[in-house]
Amino acid sequence: MGIVIAVISGKGGVGKTTATANLGLGIAMNEKKCVVVDFDIGQRNLDMILGLENRVVYDMVQVMDEEASLKQALIKSKANENLHFLAASQTKDKSVLDSDKVAKLVAELKESFDFVILDAPAGIESGYEHTIEFADAAIVVVNPEVSSIRDADRAIGILDSKSAKVKKGEDVAKYLIINRIVADMVESGEMLKSDDILEILNIKLLGKIPEDRGVIDASNQGKPVILDKKSIAGQAYTRISGRLCGQKVDMKNIEISDAGLFKRIAGIFK
Amino acid sequence: MFGFFKKQKSASVAKDRLTIAIMSDRDRTNGYPFMDEMKAEIMEVVQKYVGVKGVEIRKEVDGDMEALAIDVELDKNA
Repeated sequence: MGIVIAVISGKGGVGKTTATANLGLGIAMNEKKCVVVDFDIGQRNLDMILGLENRVVYDMVQVMDEEASLKQALIKSKANENLHFLAASQTKDKSVLDSDKVAKLVAELKESFDFVILDAPAGIESGYEHTIEFADAAIVVVNPEVSSIRDADRAIGILDSKSAKVKKGEDVAKYLIINRIVADMVESGEMLKSDDILEILNIKLLGKIPEDRGVIDASNQGKPVILDKKSIAGQAYTRISGRLCGQKVDMKNIEISDAGLFKRIAGIFK
Repeated sequence: MFGFFKKQKSASVAKDRLTIAIMSDRDRTNGYPFMDEMKAEIMEVVQKYVGVKGVEIRKEVDGDMEALAIDVELDKNA
């Protein structure tokens, strides 16, 4: 029986879909069976990030409406055979989702995969609520920037009130990924530190991802950045995927720039 | 010594502003989906005895103590 993780953010454009794709692939690279599901109905994008847009025949709404079987709709990743993908419907709108159908789909996916990762739509409307309803845990993605953090807090608030687990009196685990950190801006006090963000949101840290131009280059090609061993964002996703698979991976301090690191080393020899 | 005159770094401004904004967001939204209903009922009860113009309910937190502050504005003309 697999674990269901919703990837949420509140605000759009913070890297939620990129995180979903990379973590899905990272988990698959750890020899776990993983499925990533795009819940952003009407704004399908996970297929592009994974480079699978030409392979989509059936989408998750058709599976829910029993117009296609799960087996027909699941697409195997080109990069790793442990990773499967289920596309969002591009033609319908968010109102097609209903709790019973989502519950059935999620239950079916849990039976055949170790990890079921749901890419939530931005915003806090019904599409979002359906994504989090049956999740065992949530990964919140933020940028170190005020609007992203404020919107994330709203999304977390809704998770805490609408989750089926919470309604049963259980806890839904929540972890934060801080994306697009610029080390020298944190050093100079122009960007929020991760400790401050964790304190404001009152949430546990899953990982920090540095700003990396390679991310756009990767999505241009439909090859998630985790495949690029030299990319610093890719390496961060590798570390986070390891943590999700139960490995103890130390938190790397990416909030010091190379110049700052040099100063620190120089300081030791003073 | 010039540090004293230096302006506050923008990250700490962001932290202060966010802390306040999020606190008030949480107060407004968390736990009180019944706020409008409660307002209407209070208004109805008071209305039986005196004219009411409006009801305002705020959650106030002072250390460990949480309270609901309810302001009932009377309608002088009623």
